[in-house]
Amino acid sequence: MGLVPGLVKGLGVTGRTLLQTVFPGGFKKPIPAPIRGAQTVQYPHEKDIPAPRARGVIALHEGNCTSCMLCVRECPDWCIYIEAHKEKAPPRRAGGKPRKKNKLDRFDIDFALCMFCGICVEVCPFEALFWSPEYEYSEPRIADLLHDKSRLHEWMATVPEFEDHETGSVVKQKTVPPL
Amino acid sequence: MTTVSDQQKLSYIAAQAADARVNLEIESEGMTLNLGPQHPATHGTLRIIARIDGEQVIRADPVMGYMHRGYEKLTEVRTYPQVTTLINRIDWLGSFANEVPFILAAEKLMEVEAPPRAQWIRTILFEMSRIANVVLFLGDMAVQVGAITPVFFAFRDREHVLNQIESVTGGRFHPNFDRIGGLKDDFPKGWIDETRQVMKKMRRFCDEIEVLVMDNEIFQARTRGIGVIPADVGLSYGLSGANIRGSGVDRDLRRDNPCGLVHDQIDWKVWTHPDGDSFSRFWVRLQEVRESTGIVSQLLDSLPSGPVMAKVPRIIKVPAGEAYVETENPLGAMGYYIVSKGDLVPFRVKIRSASFSNVSITPWLLQGVYVPDIITILASLYFILGDIDR
Repeated sequence: MGLVPGLVKGLGVTGRTLLQTVFPGGFKKPIPAPIRGAQTVQYPHEKDIPAPRARGVIALHEGNCTSCMLCVRECPDWCIYIEAHKEKAPPRRAGGKPRKKNKLDRFDIDFALCMFCGICVEVCPFEALFWSPEYEYSEPRIADLLHDKSRLHEWMATVPEFEDHETGSVVKQKTVPPL
Repeated sequence: MTTVSDQQKLSYIAAQAADARVNLEIESEGMTLNLGPQHPATHGTLRIIARIDGEQVIRADPVMGYMHRGYEKLTEVRTYPQVTTLINRIDWLGSFANEVPFILAAEKLMEVEAPPRAQWIRTILFEMSRIANVVLFLGDMAVQVGAITPVFFAFRDREHVLNQIESVTGGRFHPNFDRIGGLKDDFPKGWIDETRQVMKKMRRFCDEIEVLVMDNEIFQARTRGIGVIPADVGLSYGLSGANIRGSGVDRDLRRDNPCGLVHDQIDWKVWTHPDGDSFSRFWVRLQEVRESTGIVSQLLDSLPSGPVMAKVPRIIKVPAGEAYVETENPLGAMGYYIVSKGDLVPFRVKIRSASFSNVSITPWLLQGVYVPDIITILASLYFILGDIDR
């Protein structure tokens, strides 16, 4: 049969890859960790760090949100819920009229529905929404994937600084506002 | 090489004829074999109802629609920026390429043009999504003929490309990076050098696959002379992409119709193969991955500086009219026909996806083949169910 050489070659490649994985430093060296030559990561013990731009979870800067409802309207599957009421705020200058301010009562994002498109982050004109590359927030109950505003605010601590752009770019550099 | 191919073709045809004669003599009734909708050898939920006589297929009907998600209707209630989120999910392995024709069609209606840097970045990401998509085919095709290792190699090396796409767009699979009038953002610092390294790795992967799979005797025996599509039949069924180039038709929309992408600015080649069998489709795709890495490297060298977004209104209303734009996506020609009535949302969007037309040839192509060859032929046509059902 002419197929035997093909079979042997295939087995050879598999064997070579196996040896490279188990003995990444050659046969003579002792094996510090047998998986060192592997391409995968032993997940719960070591973690891959995603890129700073990775869309993991949405963080809310609560102080910046004016409850303008732009993100609610632009969301393609309508998974953001905002409720707010008007409140009297102290005047900016002494002796001025008291201002009216929107007070956020509820800001929920249902991550079970979210498609991670990033449109809400992009349309927010007040720098209240940010992407965080965190990804470990799975829940046994699907209802727990609805993050309320305090939980969304906690994610703010994990938002990385925006990266510099490549040379030749004239895009304005954004910054993350302090908490 | 050609003599081996001819010999194999002849022996295959002789075996088919002999089997057909035996079936006639023993007057077998045949049986119906259901492949799918859930079957490890079908990619997704394509169901093939094959009427079988002995080991030979008499007729095979593809049944599709198990994953229909109604994108054409959904786009009618989404604004233009929201639509790109949806159409990312059509061909999920090369998502960025799905956005491009839609955005180009909308730009054509709005009469805006993306700045040069945006066009360059678009083309770079377009080609990278092609690499990410087709690399998986190169591994997957080997799985269908019984080799396990190449698919792990493919997953390993595709990860480099996906990481690069993620560090630009934020999404590994669903970038949602294209905007009407340009792009969402620019490259992060250091990305170009990393991508050059990745392209080198992908070229090495192509060499590896060439030695490991294409030169392998078993692979050649399973693919050469099997599933032959003559050029005229392929054209009449509306095949596109590497499937039709594998039949010797020199047709590539990147070169023939470069609307909005900058493939005409650089030096590259369209690969064709005259045989039209499963092997030639594999060969053409392998060469295309190589060519794509070259395209990306050249575009990175000549990347112009400037803005990545043209001036477009904040609330996008597309003027009334109709536009159709077709580009050469990883799976073949993909086009969007947009009818706008001047609203925030499109009035109607018709999606011409490559896989739907590519799969339509299966009843013709699977006639008379053996049962194990159904799998290799389907694998070599390379469709993605999201692209068929939409």
